[in-house]
Amino acid sequence: MSDHEERLAESLSALMDGESTELETHRILKEVGTESGAKDSVLSKWQRYHMASSVMSGDPVANIDFSAAISAAIDEEETHRINPIQRFAGSAGRFGIAASVAMVAVLGMQQFNTVAPSSSDAVQFAEVAVDAAQQNTGPAIQFPSGFQPNIQARTVSVGGNNRASQQPVMPAIQVRPALNQQYSEQELRAYLNDIMLKHSSHAALNSNQGMLPFARVTKSQEGSSIQDAEGSYTKGAEGSSTQDAEGSYTKGAEGSYSNGAEGSRDD
Amino acid sequence: MLVKVLKNIKLAALIAAVFVHGPLFAEPMDSAHDLMARMAKASKELSYKGLFTYEFRGNLTSVKVVHLVRDGQTYERIVHMDGPERELVRRGDDMDCMRASDMLLRGNVLKINDDSYSHLQDFYSFYIRGDARIAGRAVSVVNVIPKDKFRYGYIVAIDKETGLMLQSILINSQGKPMERFQFVDVSIGADVDDVEFTSALFSSEISASDDIDVDQSDCLKANQPVNVSSSQWVPKWLPPGFVLSSYQPVDAEGQESLMYTDGLAVFSVFIDYAEKSRLLPPVDANLGATVAVLTKTSLNNQQYAICVVGEIPRSTASQIANAISPLLASPSP
Repeated sequence: MSDHEERLAESLSALMDGESTELETHRILKEVGTESGAKDSVLSKWQRYHMASSVMSGDPVANIDFSAAISAAIDEEETHRINPIQRFAGSAGRFGIAASVAMVAVLGMQQFNTVAPSSSDAVQFAEVAVDAAQQNTGPAIQFPSGFQPNIQARTVSVGGNNRASQQPVMPAIQVRPALNQQYSEQELRAYLNDIMLKHSSHAALNSNQGMLPFARVTKSQEGSSIQDAEGSYTKGAEGSSTQDAEGSYTKGAEGSYSNGAEGSRDD
Repeated sequence: MLVKVLKNIKLAALIAAVFVHGPLFAEPMDSAHDLMARMAKASKELSYKGLFTYEFRGNLTSVKVVHLVRDGQTYERIVHMDGPERELVRRGDDMDCMRASDMLLRGNVLKINDDSYSHLQDFYSFYIRGDARIAGRAVSVVNVIPKDKFRYGYIVAIDKETGLMLQSILINSQGKPMERFQFVDVSIGADVDDVEFTSALFSSEISASDDIDVDQSDCLKANQPVNVSSSQWVPKWLPPGFVLSSYQPVDAEGQESLMYTDGLAVFSVFIDYAEKSRLLPPVDANLGATVAVLTKTSLNNQQYAICVVGEIPRSTASQIANAISPLLASPSP
């Protein structure tokens, strides 16, 4: 007895006991369809099994095969035709359900996705991603000879009582001496202030925020007043930096990322 | 039979759920657009005054602002309320002057060049998030989500009664807020006539150095692109959807500027050959959510400093800065 036959026999007896799985039932039906003419076919087995079962339980036994007659009777019977529209409607309905479920899932996800970023505003504001600061270390490749000062701490100096950066700050980035000969720190700051103001002026006219962009900018001022202003924010850092532009460049800006609000960032 | 009926009811319920639900469908989206367009209109045409805060990485600045419309002209004044004394005045901007961002925010399509167009909806998705209360007023909150990585997103709160924007939060690509403007107190319309504060707008009491130039050359007339014929420079790459909104030819100090907007985000490109800027090192800096990327290039033995400034991601700014090239050297105009 081959594996297949053995399995088939097991399935058959399970079917007789009413314990067959769907798979087993299908296996048997398939077998009946394909090898109905074979000598030891599933049908003949089915008959024998039932006969044995009847004998054992003492039921009267008659070896009569009704199957041919039943098949013939079925063949004669008028066909119940399925209306093609109904059939389409049926499958469309099924498809509709599947599609609706999929749509709900998609929409649900979309809704979820769109709401997610917004749920983060006020609470997380204090722990703002300092992604600009993180990126700040990146573009060195693009500007190999340059440095990435972050002028935020110097020019947005309106932080009022923010004295968080009183402690001395280690220099974050040092500029090669050769570069220091070419420009003065103040000129750079003045230049950036100038273009920032021009940009804000343009943005105020062109971004629908009215005068709001001007809140970002500090008024273009003389060097001394810039110094004053930044002193209020990064005093410690300024104190530890050398005053001459040629010296090691230890501006408080980069260092101040480790202070104050950004310092509490934990990711 | 009963099973069939139940099945049909379920199906109907599902379909109904799909249709009732939904930012994907036209109606809520349209009203978000309507809100944005209304906001664009309100910011120009309304008189208002108030106090707003600007918050960036734990720094809070408060600013007093007045915006008046008189005889079709706008007058604006802002005063910083803390830190060093600063104030800025802008007078006499024509209310009817429609700039690129006005057009874009109101849903217009602007031509960038022969084969590309700028249309706000192509680059941002708008969702109404709900109602809230800001500066004591009922607002609708709109999420503005960028469709690419070249720009930031926004959450804006728009006054229900007047359409004025009362809050604007800049959102980075990770969905985290970067900076926030928010009114804490505002009066809109008739109450604005605060003589003490506004009269200065019409007098010469405020020194001229506080005055911001009003440039009306960038007003768009009949959807004409801004004239850049005298520029020697051209960006070989721009983030999609950005349209030139203003151009300043070389000034006495040797600086020319090109300014772009997609309706919400703005960036400026400065090209400098002045002696002092020639010596500037390449810089990568930021002020608030504004980034500045300065690169150097040379043309005909002349050193130029190219600086891109804007409220855009740093990577976008660097990409733009590196794409600014001399017009003559480029193979196609």
